[in-house]
Amino acid sequence: MKLDDETTTLRRIVYRVCGFLVLLALWQIAGKSGAGGKTLPALTDVLRVYTISGRRALLVRAALATSSSAGLGLLLGAVLGCATALIAQLLPLLSRGLNRLAVVVNAVPAIALGPILIVTAGREATPVLLAAIPVYFLLYVAASSGLRSTDSRLEQLFQASGADRWKRFIYLDSVSALPALLSGLKLAVSTAIIGAVVGEWFGAPTGLGIVILNTMQNFQIPLMWATLLVVAAISLSAYALIGLAERAVQRRLV
Amino acid sequence: MATIQLKGVSKTFQISRQRRVLALSAMDLAVEEGEFVALLGPSGCGKSTILHLVAGLDQPSTGLVLVGGLPPRELQSRHELGIAFQEHALLPWRTIVGNLELPFQIAGRTPDRERIASLIDLVGLKGFESARPSQLSGGMRQRTSIARALCLSPKLLLLDEPFGALDAVTRRSMNLELQRIWQQNRITTILVTHTVEEAIFLADRVLVMSGRPGRVIRELHVPFPRPRTVDITRLELFHRLVDELTLSLEPLTLSLDPTESLHET
Repeated sequence: MKLDDETTTLRRIVYRVCGFLVLLALWQIAGKSGAGGKTLPALTDVLRVYTISGRRALLVRAALATSSSAGLGLLLGAVLGCATALIAQLLPLLSRGLNRLAVVVNAVPAIALGPILIVTAGREATPVLLAAIPVYFLLYVAASSGLRSTDSRLEQLFQASGADRWKRFIYLDSVSALPALLSGLKLAVSTAIIGAVVGEWFGAPTGLGIVILNTMQNFQIPLMWATLLVVAAISLSAYALIGLAERAVQRRLV
Repeated sequence: MATIQLKGVSKTFQISRQRRVLALSAMDLAVEEGEFVALLGPSGCGKSTILHLVAGLDQPSTGLVLVGGLPPRELQSRHELGIAFQEHALLPWRTIVGNLELPFQIAGRTPDRERIASLIDLVGLKGFESARPSQLSGGMRQRTSIARALCLSPKLLLLDEPFGALDAVTRRSMNLELQRIWQQNRITTILVTHTVEEAIFLADRVLVMSGRPGRVIRELHVPFPRPRTVDITRLELFHRLVDELTLSLEPLTLSLDPTESLHET
């Protein structure tokens, strides 16, 4: 990726902020005028939810629960996905079978697995597992292509220097795979959060998914929107964080 | 017995399903211990193929390649092979010192700080220890990769057009550097190059190759004693030899007609 110079970066940020503000203003107008119907409250009404300490405490608790489910799922899916990619790389005989397995895992709609997971894995584990499944697939694909992206000249150097597979992996392939891995992780973060929220709908004890469900049933519209904003904020900040890591790695690997 | 032996080596590359190219045919080569041999020829003459066979990066289609009486793979796993490519092949995420630590790490040894420091000194990169390859010039990167090739005091040094990507001025000074470095180490060396002056200045013996199938068309024992300095490049004999070898290379340009040089089967 080419790094733009500072002024264009600044301009891009200004554009983004402006676009975002326009969107928020439209929301506010639509909510206040009632043009969006009863289920679209004004932005200010949504934000007021955060000032109520009881609501705030509820949202913080739920956000922590959802974040930790999503985080655990992300970790689990990423570790398993990378491990599968590694096995496929080391044992080419298995790679075709593992590819199919990953595709099958991805093809099963996670939401359909929910009830089964509730019965087998339990209410607390379901959000974690539903977060882990799409992450597993994404990271398997990312790690596989990352492990294949090693510079052929460096491969020759390692071979001529008498590097065994393990040395080649730790000093060369693993580092070369990092950019692809981080791109995959960046995509995986939001799917992990979606997975965790959906997983909570099947009856987790707590979490943002549960709050969304309850507010819908009790018609607490501003709180529902406030919860959605929290989900979006978590998702976006995790995405941004990994984006930063990705850029730092790319700069190192030039 | 010669350190490197190629006996009746041929190498065929499969280009497509019907097309195969004979890169080397019935090649015999012997390199003595401590000898510096230059393989000189136009691109596509199979000189890099020879280097890859000796390095164990490729297997011969027929014939035998032995290094110290053993297959090249054996030399690889003993970490006794130093190699430098036209492209520097440094790890971009490591510093110069980090790149010189790599051969030790691959061999499972603790990096020898003193050895690394003395090599950095030898190739004239003192003060750039913690620079990364992207911060260095092309010449400096090649110095680093030559230093890296020397890290484990290899039995055999293979240089695949190491200065091919450099400009003429840098190339000349790198030749002087390599001459100086080699005279301090005297490792059995094969240099692949397409520059006549470079071959004569550096090597004990120059083998001129022709392309497709690659074979040696001329052998020259370089008459200049060592240690050699830049002065020999000003001798009349040096220039005469350069002219001679350049001439022996020239007819090749006429035989580069692809229909003639491709051996289809």
